[in-house]
Amino acid sequence: MRFGLIATLGIMLVPAVAWAQTIEEKAQICGACHGENGVPQQKTMPVIWGQYQGYLYLQLRDYKSGARKNDIMSPLAQTMERDDMMALALHFSQKPWPDLQQQPAPPDVAKRAIAANVSIGCTGCHLGEYQGAGTQPRLAGQTREYLHQSMMEFRTRARGNNPGMTDLMLATSVEDLEALAQYMAGLQYRAGQ
Amino acid sequence: MTRIALLIAGALALAMSSTGTAQEVKQAPRPAAAPSITPSNVTQDMLNRAAGDANNFLHTNGDYTQRRYHPAAQINAANVRRLRPAWIFQTEIKESLETSPIVVNGVMYVTTSFSQVYALNAQTGEQLWHYKQALGPITTYCCGPNNRGVAVYEDKVYLATLDAKLVALDAKTGTKVWQTDIADPELGYSETMAPTVVKGKVLIGTNGGEYGIRGFVRAYDAKDGKLIWNFDTIPENSVGVWAEKDATGRDMHRNIQAEKEQLAKTGDPYKTLGGGVWQNPAVDLATNRIYFVVGNPSPDLDGSLRPGDNLYTDSLVSLDLDTGKYVCHFQYIAHDVWDLDAVSPPVLVDVRDKSGKLISGVIHAGKTGHIYVHDRKDCSLIRFSDAMVPQENMWTLPTAQGARMLPGANGGVEWSPVAVNPQLGLTYAINLHQPMTYHVQSAPYPNGKLWLGGAFKVIPGEEQAGNITAVDYNTGKIRWQVKTPQPMIGGVLATAGGLVFTGEGNGRFRAYDARNGNVLWTFNAGAGVNAPPSSYTVAGKQYIVVGAGGNVQLDYKRGNAIIAFTLD
Repeated sequence: MRFGLIATLGIMLVPAVAWAQTIEEKAQICGACHGENGVPQQKTMPVIWGQYQGYLYLQLRDYKSGARKNDIMSPLAQTMERDDMMALALHFSQKPWPDLQQQPAPPDVAKRAIAANVSIGCTGCHLGEYQGAGTQPRLAGQTREYLHQSMMEFRTRARGNNPGMTDLMLATSVEDLEALAQYMAGLQYRAGQ
Repeated sequence: MTRIALLIAGALALAMSSTGTAQEVKQAPRPAAAPSITPSNVTQDMLNRAAGDANNFLHTNGDYTQRRYHPAAQINAANVRRLRPAWIFQTEIKESLETSPIVVNGVMYVTTSFSQVYALNAQTGEQLWHYKQALGPITTYCCGPNNRGVAVYEDKVYLATLDAKLVALDAKTGTKVWQTDIADPELGYSETMAPTVVKGKVLIGTNGGEYGIRGFVRAYDAKDGKLIWNFDTIPENSVGVWAEKDATGRDMHRNIQAEKEQLAKTGDPYKTLGGGVWQNPAVDLATNRIYFVVGNPSPDLDGSLRPGDNLYTDSLVSLDLDTGKYVCHFQYIAHDVWDLDAVSPPVLVDVRDKSGKLISGVIHAGKTGHIYVHDRKDCSLIRFSDAMVPQENMWTLPTAQGARMLPGANGGVEWSPVAVNPQLGLTYAINLHQPMTYHVQSAPYPNGKLWLGGAFKVIPGEEQAGNITAVDYNTGKIRWQVKTPQPMIGGVLATAGGLVFTGEGNGRFRAYDARNGNVLWTFNAGAGVNAPPSSYTVAGKQYIVVGAGGNVQLDYKRGNAIIAFTLD
């Protein structure tokens, strides 16, 4: 029911995006779900404040092309051109990353997550302490529920805009993905390059 | 050509829409007095004679032959135990260091991750200038935001950047002289290699074999960055000869019939077939040819979408330096589905052919764990060495559930350059041993996104290790081998002092006796030493220098130190 309401809200907002004049006005629309203060309204929605411009842009691009699908984001992205996407992505990348007060993973969970990383090399792209850079998203301190949901959606191909991630998630057990989500959510923000 | 024009147009459009293009140059805080040293020009003659120049380290791999054999012998097997840090310089970036320090008459140039350059006083470690490339928002790369160093020529320093640009800097000030867009990073192109400059041309390849690019090697004009020639590492006819066996004669278990049916349905896959070039070409000044190796096909593990031999992936390739025209090639693995590609830079050295005659040769250290020895004239294979790492179940095809095969997908020898001691007839390679399972999944080309076609997965609980191996390239036999506790990645330096230097992920940096592998000296750098060392001489003192910044790919402890050593 909650999702239905948000989806309806998203569709209602589409014309507003088209008419919005400034980045700030456009960004206000995003705040309805991603949070006015950067803390998402729901835990299954991602933090976008402080996320990297390149990554945010690619997601908007992929929502528009249909490579990534979401009932709210897909229609919103249809109203944007590349420059709009880049500007919006830059806007949010310059906001401070919010502290969601997520606890560090307990030692047994951390151990499992670290072993899974050795196996498939998450930090080969997401970099040390999962801080990301450029088009590689920061995962440290992202909401645990969103991280888990994303990895599972890659695994089932419900999220189809990165087949490399699908391959890696398929090569990883569900239990390891749960551990990774908890571990990454509990890591701290560190200033990017 | 149409495609190239499109790529350049795309890259230009991207550059125009990005948020800024101005570089930022920081001058080191220093007294009002003049800089302690002024960078000097580099002539083509200096570059040509680098192999005999004990004062300098002018090329990524020492000289155009890429032997990484430095002629200074002041530091030798008898006194290396007295090697001490002369200075340590800390970079602003604490992330993977893969830089080969370049030294020109007392001035050192090093790079860091995210395409930054420092000029340092090579005697004191004093910073002369710092250049930060203003990277665009899109950077698409494999294996970390690395940079392997600069090239130097006349009054300029050349850098290739993570967002696929070629940049010329003023060697004296670190300010940008020109910048050229190489390719569109949104389509998966990036640069981590150091350029090579020869006869007014800046040679550069591209990364992107994990993103469905079409690879190339290019020559740009050193004066203004204009394109002189382009060689596509993937020809429009990439099918080849339907090779069933690899370079060592082992069956690769290809389903040629299924590939031919796929070819009839979808045509030649050359447009998205990968073929990145990770490391510098060797230059044969006598014949005016260059030799380089080409990386894996895209997608890495799924061969079903790319019928044929996938030329010239996993190959040694030679071109004419002036025109970029094809001369010869040799493919190690046709239709690779294991990412056991060719990445370590080739080396030119005289070798014995099968009849024992001394000829011009070229050698390459493969991810397979073999040193391959070729005839430089036609690229043909003379011999391959004993395997330097355990091999098991080669060539088992990847499966959805994962099939075990050794070596793992990182090698053998990764991008790490080897060194050669021509007096001893030995080449020194560092290796990884990482047992893996190979998994295959199929997905269509994702427009510049990560496109692996499966996964290679380190087997939890199985022992990993590394080694440094000395191979007699005239026989292919292993002369000596020293095992290390972790897989090795970084690079090797040999010197006329009878020494071999290389580092490890645990922070150890060691000197070995070139003849027998005895460990003669150890230093712990506190972070992974996963970069190739260099050597030089200033004011009568020989130095060894190396970066200690760890490694993204193997998740070795990160650091930010450039460490120069000399005798106490």
